[in-house]
Amino acid sequence: MGEVPPEILRFAGSLGAILLLAGLAWRLKLGPQRALDSDDAAREAADEALDGFEPVAMVRDREGRAALLRDAGGRVLLLRQHGTHFAGRLLGPKASARIEDGALIVDSGERSFGTARLDVENPDAWRETIARL
Amino acid sequence: MSRIPTLGEKPSRAYDPAAMPDFSPTELAVPGFVALVLIEMIWAWRKRREAYEPRDTLTSLAFGLGSTVAGLITGGLFLALFLWVWQFRAFDIPWSWWAFALCFVLDDLAYYWVHRFGHRVRWFWASHVNHHSSQHYNLSTALRQTWTGFLTLGFAFKLPLVLIGFHPGMIAICAGFNLIYQFWIHTEAIGKMPRWFEAVMNTPSHHRVHHATNPRYLDRNYAGVFIVWDRLFGTFEAECDGEKIRYGIVKQLGSFNLLWAVFHEWVGIAQDVWRAPWRHKLSYLLREPGWSHDGSRATSDQIRADWLARSGTANKVAAENPIAGRGKSA
Repeated sequence: MGEVPPEILRFAGSLGAILLLAGLAWRLKLGPQRALDSDDAAREAADEALDGFEPVAMVRDREGRAALLRDAGGRVLLLRQHGTHFAGRLLGPKASARIEDGALIVDSGERSFGTARLDVENPDAWRETIARL
Repeated sequence: MSRIPTLGEKPSRAYDPAAMPDFSPTELAVPGFVALVLIEMIWAWRKRREAYEPRDTLTSLAFGLGSTVAGLITGGLFLALFLWVWQFRAFDIPWSWWAFALCFVLDDLAYYWVHRFGHRVRWFWASHVNHHSSQHYNLSTALRQTWTGFLTLGFAFKLPLVLIGFHPGMIAICAGFNLIYQFWIHTEAIGKMPRWFEAVMNTPSHHRVHHATNPRYLDRNYAGVFIVWDRLFGTFEAECDGEKIRYGIVKQLGSFNLLWAVFHEWVGIAQDVWRAPWRHKLSYLLREPGWSHDGSRATSDQIRADWLARSGTANKVAAENPIAGRGKSA
């Protein structure tokens, strides 16, 4: 058997170190998920996702995993958990929503961003709002 | 690859692609990087558990590993180009301490401009965005390096150094130390350094501003090692106490998918160029990120202008930043 090239050894060593560090982060339970557990938390996350977004109406998932917010101009912002943070998308004509088992499933229309499930009181109203976009 | 030239040695005039010193400071620094990430993780575990997120850490570190592979594949090509250009140098600069010191400073100046273009030209941003797309700011973020740097013209900013006469090997070593310096400033574990240090050097505080998406901070503090370049060229913004920094990019990825994180902006450019009217196609490559021909998106200048209009806080933007004072971004 020939000698292993040093580049391969370095790659393998680095890969091992990466897996070790990521595993340690997981083991130490770093990165606890935050929840949108109040309207203020949702407002703050909305402002972080889209600076200056001022909601006039909102609905939050019961577990705080996602939220929909509408501003005075009729724009609808979808927020969902992303690790310890939240990520948001302004919904456009490509967005859609449906109701499954009583929960609102919002498809952002952006494949990489995907869908969000919201367990909310009145999913029909928001489904119609999204359909009108 | 060959030995490291001795100090005071005059370089050969001949074009010799093999005449590169066999010394890579970044490779030697890797164990130190790993150890410091480990220490910061323990700090996070004790003080701020949200400072790290395992999937984000894995993505960032995979970026780092992939960038070294990309460097291996494309680095030789750039070094060969630099060595070829070096034949036409103005001066024979020896391998000396003063030359290293001068090269380090000039390389950092070149870095400032590469970096500034990296934020202001979408073609460059498509590569550099990789370093910014984490919503976290920790030492693993420092290793979140691009895989597609070779697709931009960043290397061209270093060519003046080659033409002056600095050996490409010396430039590569200085660039390596520059990168090592920038590692430690990617942390929230350090507040502010002594005033004299903050005045001259890039620090965790200055670089937090650079990674922020708060309108006040967008496109600020491009420095690598010396923050004086930002002060000189009007792109400096100090970190404000009491304003929570949010990290990442204006349109957060919302995904930990590594390949999407690597290529999303290139895909975005391709889609925009494809859909745009002919006269606007090139602008989607050369204009600033966020520009659109129909005004449907916002650039950092527009985001800041909107924020200023809303909050009426123009006077709160650092007075020493003349560009911000005019309501325009660098």
